[in-house]
Amino acid sequence: MNATLAAILAVLGLTLVKATPLIYAALGGVLSERAGVVNIALEAVMIAGAFTAVAVSGATGSPLLGALAGILAGALVASVLAFAATRLGVDQIVAGTGLNIATLAAAAYGLVLIYHQPGASREVPAFGRPGETVLIVLAFVAALTLQFVLTRTPWGLRVRACGEDPGAAEAAGIDALRTRFGAVVIGGAIAALGGVYLSLAELDLYSNGMTAGRGFIALAAVIFGRWTPLGATGAALFFGFFAALQYTLQRAGVPTELMQALPYLAALVALAGFAGRVRAPAADGVPYVRE
Amino acid sequence: MRRRFGAVQAVDGVDLELFPGEIQALVGENGAGKSTLAAIAYGAVRPDEGTIEATGAVGLVHQHFKLIQRLRVWENVLLNREPKRGWTIDVAAAQARVRALGATYGLAVDPDAVVETLPVGIKQRVELLRELDREPAVLLLDEPTAALAPSEIASFFETVRGLAARGTAVLVVTHKLAEVIAYSQRVTVMRAGRVVGRHLTAETNAEAIAREMVGGEVPALAARAATTPAPLLALRDVAATAGISTLANASFDVRAGEIVGIAGIEGNGQSALADALAGVVPFTGEMRFAGEALDAADSPASRIARGIRVIPQDRRGEALVLDWNVRDNVALGRQRVLARAAYGSAALEVIERFDVRPPNPEAIVGMLSGGNQQKIVVGRALTSAPRLVVAYQPTRGIDIGAAALVQSRLIEARNAGAGVLLISFELDEIFACADRVLVIASGAFVGAFERSTIDRGRIGALMAGHQ
Amino acid sequence: MNALLRSRGARDALVALVVVFGVGSIAMLLAHVSPLVGFGALFDGALGTPEEVAETLVQAANVLFPALGIAVAFRAGLFNIGAEGQLILGGFAAGWIGAQLPLPAFAAVPLLLVAGALAGGAWGAIPGFLRARFGANEVIATLMLNVIAILLTTYLVNGPLQQGGAGASETAALPRSAYLPDPIALVGDPHLTLAYLGTPIVVGIVLALVLRWALLRTVFGYELRAAGDAPEAAKRAGIDLGRTALVAMALSGAIAGLGGATIVAGSLHRFNTGLSPGYGFIAIAVALVGNLDPLWIVVAAIAFGMLQSGGIAMQAEAGVPREVVSLVTGLVIIALAGRRVVARRRTT
Repeated sequence: MNATLAAILAVLGLTLVKATPLIYAALGGVLSERAGVVNIALEAVMIAGAFTAVAVSGATGSPLLGALAGILAGALVASVLAFAATRLGVDQIVAGTGLNIATLAAAAYGLVLIYHQPGASREVPAFGRPGETVLIVLAFVAALTLQFVLTRTPWGLRVRACGEDPGAAEAAGIDALRTRFGAVVIGGAIAALGGVYLSLAELDLYSNGMTAGRGFIALAAVIFGRWTPLGATGAALFFGFFAALQYTLQRAGVPTELMQALPYLAALVALAGFAGRVRAPAADGVPYVRE
Repeated sequence: MRRRFGAVQAVDGVDLELFPGEIQALVGENGAGKSTLAAIAYGAVRPDEGTIEATGAVGLVHQHFKLIQRLRVWENVLLNREPKRGWTIDVAAAQARVRALGATYGLAVDPDAVVETLPVGIKQRVELLRELDREPAVLLLDEPTAALAPSEIASFFETVRGLAARGTAVLVVTHKLAEVIAYSQRVTVMRAGRVVGRHLTAETNAEAIAREMVGGEVPALAARAATTPAPLLALRDVAATAGISTLANASFDVRAGEIVGIAGIEGNGQSALADALAGVVPFTGEMRFAGEALDAADSPASRIARGIRVIPQDRRGEALVLDWNVRDNVALGRQRVLARAAYGSAALEVIERFDVRPPNPEAIVGMLSGGNQQKIVVGRALTSAPRLVVAYQPTRGIDIGAAALVQSRLIEARNAGAGVLLISFELDEIFACADRVLVIASGAFVGAFERSTIDRGRIGALMAGHQ
Repeated sequence: MNALLRSRGARDALVALVVVFGVGSIAMLLAHVSPLVGFGALFDGALGTPEEVAETLVQAANVLFPALGIAVAFRAGLFNIGAEGQLILGGFAAGWIGAQLPLPAFAAVPLLLVAGALAGGAWGAIPGFLRARFGANEVIATLMLNVIAILLTTYLVNGPLQQGGAGASETAALPRSAYLPDPIALVGDPHLTLAYLGTPIVVGIVLALVLRWALLRTVFGYELRAAGDAPEAAKRAGIDLGRTALVAMALSGAIAGLGGATIVAGSLHRFNTGLSPGYGFIAIAVALVGNLDPLWIVVAAIAFGMLQSGGIAMQAEAGVPREVVSLVTGLVIIALAGRRVVARRRTT
């Protein structure tokens, strides 16, 4: 009896650990998409957050400074996408894909420049259990806060207006391009925390490819959660559960790769199941070009 | 208090003055520059030359509402001006303010309703309230009655009169001369971007204004041949849904060699009917074409194969590939039937018979004017041996010459033995072309008139839902 | 000439050049290497000797196939970000089948290529089906399938289908009969410079010509482009959007899979987990730089081939980390994302 209980608790605990980076990324995605910008580059934001956090923590000895730097880096990377999407009016998915490639390469390049070894950094000062717990709780706090901001504050209303109909929003005097820009950058800052968690809380280093497509699973969580912060959090927990399951089942002798594939398969199934029954913000992904 | 401006190009050297408390009408054909002028006056578009002076806020109610469908009424009305409590929105205050506004102006709306769910007439109230909340000195109304029933029009202008009485200067941009005569004090006529006439409404009449708008005589329509119609299309208890458009219960016939006009206000099921006929949405009930039952699960391809041609309402979004040239667009719909080598000659046929300008098959369609784009869409349908033509707003937004040509060709198709179903929101167009008129309201057919028994008043009442 | 310079394609190419040289120089300076030395090593490594030219063309071919596939999908209004997975699966199918069946050359090579195309086509058909049947967003689907493809092939090649001997993640070596014909052997004269062209790039160019003809001159291409450029009008004109999406994605995947098979048959001569250093993603940049036109994509592929093969030399001789190449590739994609808003039906 006790053994089963312990096992269940272990899985639940692991679920929280696995879900937290997804929650941060998904929240960033929700904010961005509600404003009308499809953020395919959540992966890039997480990479930037993870790498910068490690680099700064290694240099200053403070994981807290590293985390703050990671947030800034994520916001910076997101602002590249925001700029391309609002000022240049380019196709958001293509630009986001390019950003993913570029950021991954930049981080790999940074590894070589700073640590003179490809592949991974040294171990750096990281958050211990208390810090990790704070980050987990903070994720849920962020979800609740974002839900409140979107529905109850003037800025949140403006964001939603821009995502549904930027032309009408501008007719009401809102600067749609600036609002979209802001939403993407702030969303990037939130999503970067997911990367920080990966490199400074779950582990204590950065290695190439450590984000492993979590930015894309987060997007699936956004859709699955119907573009609401609370919904996306729930979806992220669901995906995190599958990732947690992977470890338990692995010990039962199921092949690693199959287990590793579980979250991605789950996302695929969710996509097929939920498609067509939910609606994105009406102007999501559509560049707004002023006449 | 006055507003004055001069500007160039789409609007060419126009001066306009509006005085407080007056209702002035700005008339002109589609493309005359009225909407552009209104946008300039509002400040949404900047003129290349000229100045705008106003002694207060300017409000603009757009022809196609600038409402955010998925937000609530109060969110739309007070967007960017929300009552706040600290950092959050004071929702209760917002709702109260909307209710108070509604009471003041006689435009009651439920503040909490989601705009998407409201009927068109109520949506327009929301649009109005949004502008009125800013207490404008000048109110511009762009084609305000396009989507209203005749009875709603009367109450709308009551509201407008009330606003003028409070000192607001009102400019009504319209092409509906009956309303101009009934409700305005002054009228300014535009044609091709310039002002060609200014009158006191009391000193002029509809015919004179129309002549100024058109600048001459309207080209005559093709003569109507006497034919004996044979059965072609029969609908019994057909119901369908296309987005927010619902067709509830349609039973009527269209015979070969006749034009059946469907008169109705926009938003009463016409889109569902057109889409069901096109094979874009499924339907329940029975549809027979040339004796054979149509399958509700049909695709557009099979309808096209039977000889059914649908001219959609939105040429840019539903009929043309704007990045392609004329030749490839003419082939659209027949791309498998026509030999590739014949695409060119088919395009030339349409260009010639429908006077498409410039007469170049390689021209990119996106660069053509609306009238020429529409001629391609109509020409493509009529030159492909159609048996049934469903023309949905075939002359929407095009100049009067092109409109007359299109209507003529439809009559010629009818003379040649095709059946034509003409769905239009302009009663004048229906009266000019149709052999029989059916009236649609709330998705059901509520009246049928032979050409000889057309009764304008009765049809208007039926359209509005009165018996 | 003026029209060419003013054309959008020329402007895009210019932007790409600026990004490559500009950002590349900055990155090199960060590594304390002079851009002159760095780019010098790059070009020398790409084009210095005939062998290096041959390697450049091989790299060009490796990105050409997936780029053509991506372009076909883009023209149909679909984002195929899954070319990487399709390519890997195609390579795996080719490698495994090729090692199983000892067949004479004229049968083995076509069989390999067909197997690769079928595998890639099937992998592309999955998101195509999800899109056609459920309206599911193909971007996320293809991204997920990329990872699944890598995991699947890794598992198979390390476990049940492992053939390279214990510990080697690869299939058995292909028998010589399954190699792509070597032009030197065909022509018989090792000094004939044409021989260094290499079969893969020739096959790629032929494919590009065929695709261009298909897109512009056939009804199939007409309907595919209509579905991409004006889906609502295409639907009303009788074009089945669901079927077009499925076929376009399957074709796109098949072309990418063919690319994977070509890598196996042409240079690697086996499948292993290091088959592709991200060709499927670089191919996105190639497709964009080529303005989605098969012939310009060939030119772009050669340019990116130079970056890839020269990058190795650049690292070895000038000490500039190879990641610079990926970095500029990604930035080129951003710069060329363009206002071409692919007209898509609104999906989730």
